[in-house]
Amino acid sequence: MIDKKEYRGSIHQRQKDLMLAWYEQLDQAASTGSPATVSMLISGNCVELLEGFGAVPLYPEVNALQLAIRHQSLDPILAAEDLGYAADNCAYVKADIGCMVKKITPTGGKLPTPTLILCNFVGCNTYLKWFEHLAKLQQAPLYVIDVPFMRADEPSRSDVEYVVKQLQETVRKLEQFTGSNFDYDRFCQAVACSSRTEELWSQIKHLARRSPSPFDAYFDAITLMGPLYVYRARPEGVEFFEAALAELQAKADARKGVYEQEHFRLVMEGPPPYPYFRTFRDMFAKWQACAVASTYSTVGGLWEFGFRHDPANPFESVAMHMIAQNVTNRNFLQRYEQIRRYVEEWNADGVIIHFVKSCRLFSAGQGDMRDYLTKQLGVPTLYIESDLEDPRYFAEAQTKNRIDAFFEALEHSKTTATARGLA
Amino acid sequence: MRIAAGVDVGSTQTKAVIMSDNGGVKVLARTLVDTGANVQRAAERAFDTCCQKAGIHSGDVGFVVGTGYGRYKIAFGNTQMTEITCHAKGASFLCPGTRTVIDMGGQDSKAISVGANGEVLDFVMNDKCAAGTGRFLANSAEVMGISLDEVGPLSLKAQHPVKIATVCTVFVESDILSYLAQGKTGEDILGGVHIAIAKRTLSLARRLNIAPEITMTGGVARNVGMVRALEEVLGCKMLVSPDAQYIGAVGAALFALEKLDQSFESGIWRRDHAVSGGH
Amino acid sequence: MLFERTFDHCSDLHFTSVCEWKQVHPGSKVIAYFPVYAPVELIHAASMLPVGLSGAGDRLDIQHADARFGSFICSIVKTTLEMGLVGHLAPFDGLLFSTICDSARNLCFVMKRNFPQMYVDFLHLPHNPSSPAAAQFLAEEYRRILAQLERLGGRKVDDEDLRHSIAFYNRNRALIRELYQLRTQAPHQVPTSELYQLIRLGNFLPVEEHTVQLETALADFRSRSAKLRDSIRIVVEGSFCEQPPPTLIRLVEDAGCYIVDDDFVIGQSWFEGDVPTEGDPLLALADSYLNRSVYSSVRHDFRKPRWDGLVDKVRRNRADAVLFLIAKFCEPAYFDYVPYKQELERAGIPHLQLEFEEKLFTFDRLRTEIETFVESLVFD
Repeated sequence: MIDKKEYRGSIHQRQKDLMLAWYEQLDQAASTGSPATVSMLISGNCVELLEGFGAVPLYPEVNALQLAIRHQSLDPILAAEDLGYAADNCAYVKADIGCMVKKITPTGGKLPTPTLILCNFVGCNTYLKWFEHLAKLQQAPLYVIDVPFMRADEPSRSDVEYVVKQLQETVRKLEQFTGSNFDYDRFCQAVACSSRTEELWSQIKHLARRSPSPFDAYFDAITLMGPLYVYRARPEGVEFFEAALAELQAKADARKGVYEQEHFRLVMEGPPPYPYFRTFRDMFAKWQACAVASTYSTVGGLWEFGFRHDPANPFESVAMHMIAQNVTNRNFLQRYEQIRRYVEEWNADGVIIHFVKSCRLFSAGQGDMRDYLTKQLGVPTLYIESDLEDPRYFAEAQTKNRIDAFFEALEHSKTTATARGLA
Repeated sequence: MRIAAGVDVGSTQTKAVIMSDNGGVKVLARTLVDTGANVQRAAERAFDTCCQKAGIHSGDVGFVVGTGYGRYKIAFGNTQMTEITCHAKGASFLCPGTRTVIDMGGQDSKAISVGANGEVLDFVMNDKCAAGTGRFLANSAEVMGISLDEVGPLSLKAQHPVKIATVCTVFVESDILSYLAQGKTGEDILGGVHIAIAKRTLSLARRLNIAPEITMTGGVARNVGMVRALEEVLGCKMLVSPDAQYIGAVGAALFALEKLDQSFESGIWRRDHAVSGGH
Repeated sequence: MLFERTFDHCSDLHFTSVCEWKQVHPGSKVIAYFPVYAPVELIHAASMLPVGLSGAGDRLDIQHADARFGSFICSIVKTTLEMGLVGHLAPFDGLLFSTICDSARNLCFVMKRNFPQMYVDFLHLPHNPSSPAAAQFLAEEYRRILAQLERLGGRKVDDEDLRHSIAFYNRNRALIRELYQLRTQAPHQVPTSELYQLIRLGNFLPVEEHTVQLETALADFRSRSAKLRDSIRIVVEGSFCEQPPPTLIRLVEDAGCYIVDDDFVIGQSWFEGDVPTEGDPLLALADSYLNRSVYSSVRHDFRKPRWDGLVDKVRRNRADAVLFLIAKFCEPAYFDYVPYKQELERAGIPHLQLEFEEKLFTFDRLRTEIETFVESLVFD
């Protein structure tokens, strides 16, 4: 029996503590009205700006995924469908709105009505609708930061200026709604913290290039992502990632991998099926297949290719992150390129494309991605389907079957290559 | 002489094949039973009956590989392997030159890109809905009050096949009823249904490099109308073995034989596989 | 009859009229655009022909696009790709997409990969119209697209060319508004199944020719003497991108409805009034987009939520009910349905939601639902 290892270093517990502390702050804000809270979306978030007001981020997406991981997402989804949401609407939105309607929260603590609903529109059209609905439901003010989509290789001067101006408008709005002045110095410090956190996270991501990788860059990276989008701009975040890096570095130096033997190295594309997170992981653990890179973990920012926030140019670098350095605002072909780099530079054996019904941003056109990977690059690729939030769309036996067949074939080709002296 | 067996537990039918390599690899016997509710029992029945047919004792069988959706329930099996891997292997053996397998079963359909040695290069599956499977045909037959065996031959007689827009097995029923009400013939309706299924299946298969020889496997391969519809949409002939339903079991048996052949180094056997229950 | 011809035009997968135009204007380029809205004035000013794509309706089997776009994706995305993969998009030199939804945006880049010889571009339309910076940004974005058109056409486009083109399209849009107003006042004289084809023709014809067609049709409609039936007046909402089969529109009317307003092919009548023809033309277009556009599921403007826009539309047109005709898997429409429904219920306005696909061959289910709905309103 393969020992299904899970990442259980001390950093795992520390991550839990940090996230609980965050939920406690939100509960406090719900009870006392302080600190100010700002709803945002994870991808391309400008959490640094909030630090200038001592405000705490509220992430409806995290709400949704927490519900799914705790197997609580179905009821809120059904409640939302009763309101008229379609079976084919993004289940993240349905879970979040449903739980507001049913007055439940994933941790049982209270969640505040935000001081401002700040929609950082970074490509995902669902984000926009979601936050419009929240504004209507919660009767809270809405402001949209319109981030121009990456339709060329680099953002234009005009793109950056447009976002910077909107960031400054956001500051004025927050001053209006919080009644406090924007603390520019705190903002710059926050940007400096982010820069440090990103450097650490990037180093962690690069550790996965080692063989064996000391952590799973999909399942473990997703767990580690929490502190990234909540605490990126705070000293607690820096401390956390320093500790995480130290722990993983030690593992890497001791050549300790996730499994006894790292049999396969994978690149994972797409969000995980949160309601079946553990089950899904076990399907890969059985084959001692470790993810060495993933696109989904760059929803919280793309740091492994060198970009850092710059405290000397705070507004501009925040704008640059929002435009160009998160996976959702990058175009589909840039994602192909990102995967290609992972396969080559992180030395992967194959790619797993996980199509999720809810998320068209990730999933629409993944057949073409598969075409690119298999026919153009010749990389073994597996295409599986389920959903990221709705537990009704996971076919365990069928998914396992596809995964097993994929690894049977990969195993065969690896051994034949060894036998022929090619590996 | 080495004797090995493959048992393919499908959702509707269970197949067992016994093979030997005495003077060349060949099939000694094959059996097919309905799976029913008890998967384990079906596997045992198929295997035992097959041994009888081959004129051997079950103890003579050196190795058993299980495959199909019920593969983990085969208690007497030595190991298990997915039906994708087994179909590729079996099709290559029964239809030499196979480079693409199109398998249409009762519950799912798949396309497999096969290498020169019967190895899986790539595959695509439709295992989440009935479109393109035997279930779609069975439903259509039921709606029209025709037996499943008749649908294929009837579809060949279509003069003006109707247009079926949906691939949803639930909605196609109302489409069929609509056409019946409009006075369309059963032949034309079935012609349309077969074409729709063929197009849907090949649409899926096009994610791979479809290369000849294209071999059709699975229960639906016995449907002459389906074979013809696929060939029409493909624009070329397909290979269909008379043993189309047994291809998975044949592939499993071939792997079992390989295991018995100590000198054969196949990647599949590099690690010990857990026996049933390991999922 | 005029309207039979238009139907053939709209469903012609070989784009015969486009090919003919190219023959008459050798060397001139044709730029196709995916729904909903496109700045056609830019294309026109560059002496190119803008052509609105609307999927392939029921005329094309999806045989290849399914391999690239799987389930849960609307048909128009797949038929557009299919048209490309089987060669129907050969007459086009360029393909323009914009920010309407996630599926369409991914399609843009899939097209870019698969048709590298075409000029494929993505227009970022602003989603923060309340920002003072938005107009400048959009004008810059238009300037960027225009520069590409200039490069493609080998000719510079100046402000006068742009103002000229704007004037042409202003006239065209004014006529569409008049036709819609006529229909509101006298729906018995303006059957939507005919009006629809006429508007959709604007996707293919040069604007000058289309304007003539509109003028002729307007006169024709005005002169009709039809009997006013006892039909209910409805607003149709949700068909702004993938278009319903024309049979479905006729079916709605036959079931006892007068469609007094709709958002079919709404990109063609996107502005509420004329775009100014003085001053900087790109800024004028940008400002009009931001501040004088109709509401739509693909345009975000929270200064006036679009559910208020729908209620206004119903009242303005003295409609009895709303029919949501939503393309299957259309995410923006699915989302908007919820607040739309809530506000309609608050305002006491009856409504019905139906899903369609551009490719439908049997209509019994839909017919039954619409007839039942009409009966429930008539026999109250």
